[in-house]
Amino acid sequence: MAHHSHPYHMVDPSPWPLTGAIAALLMTSGLAVWFHFHSTSLMLLGTILLTLTVIQWWRDIVREGTFQGHHTPPVQKGLRYGMILFITSEVLFFLGFFWAFYHSSLAPTPELGGNWPPAGITPLDPFEVPLLNTAVLLASGVTVTWAHHAIMEGKRKQAIHALALTILLGAYFTFLQAMEYNEAPFTIADGVYGCTFFVATGFHGLHVLIGSTFLAICLARQISHHFTSEHHFGFEAAAWYWHFVDVVWLFLYISIYWWGS
Amino acid sequence: MAGRLLLRACTTTLRLRSNAVARPLHRAMATEGIPTDEEQATGLERRVLMAFKEGKDPYSILKPKYYPGTKEDPQLVPCIGGKRLVGCLCEEDNTAIVWFWVHEGGSHRCPSCGTYYKAVPHEVPH
Repeated sequence: MAHHSHPYHMVDPSPWPLTGAIAALLMTSGLAVWFHFHSTSLMLLGTILLTLTVIQWWRDIVREGTFQGHHTPPVQKGLRYGMILFITSEVLFFLGFFWAFYHSSLAPTPELGGNWPPAGITPLDPFEVPLLNTAVLLASGVTVTWAHHAIMEGKRKQAIHALALTILLGAYFTFLQAMEYNEAPFTIADGVYGCTFFVATGFHGLHVLIGSTFLAICLARQISHHFTSEHHFGFEAAAWYWHFVDVVWLFLYISIYWWGS
Repeated sequence: MAGRLLLRACTTTLRLRSNAVARPLHRAMATEGIPTDEEQATGLERRVLMAFKEGKDPYSILKPKYYPGTKEDPQLVPCIGGKRLVGCLCEEDNTAIVWFWVHEGGSHRCPSCGTYYKAVPHEVPH
């Protein structure tokens, strides 16, 4: 262990940034190859490489923080800034899709019949499954906060139960949304309505999957005694991300499902 | 949030230690199965935690204390190895920083504003 008089973490050399960059290159060029030459091999290879990269990179971070004690308060502060900035960038990402939706829906063109929803589109009833989905995600926001308080109060069993319940609710949302996608009377190819609907809700669904995975990792770590009652930033980051996913859904529900129907 | 609480708890502990006031822990030890930092922190994080408990800050995490900078009460400059570079902002909002070395033994004055600086040995963390 090097001796230094500062509280920061000088990380050891790592191959994962390089493999991550290669994975990103293979995935994007693989996407282009898929579009033009009908082969998914390159994209698949990129995805596998990405999966291996993130597993090993984040495994290394857990080792550095929990097992080696490199995450001093200033280091943790930096990680907090990082997560907040990342979530902010994701907010801006979704802002673009909301912009697209409002651009097309506030002034529907003659091709759509001058209406929104466009002529020929039967939108989903916002007071059926979409409302249930809203309740499910809001409930999961409550359970993840419950889990956080349980951790801070040193209550292991409650923390595990609350976290598991959060993940279950997330899975229920995903299941319900998958059913909706399957039974929807319109597709992504159905004009600008279908496009804005499925791209916005689709990216949201991807973020639900990512958030659920993050929470599942936290559950495994909590069971393995990684978190202390004072220091559990991995969990806090997952909870922040989950709340962000919930808020995006609320905007989707209000804008696209409700106002847009 | 917990990190900020920890930092605040550290500064509170330091302040209280210097006032020699007994104060109960914020939280009892692992009551129902989740360890505390006291029990489980390791490595540099643990060294920081233990040092804070003794009222010390070997890794310079907290903001430096500001002294009047007079001859009787010079600005103390913790240093390792006998000397340290000091950058003096003579007045607030100055854009030109006045740089000079400060050596152990004797006071040094900023060549621009005359503030007194004194190098003091900083405990080297192991």
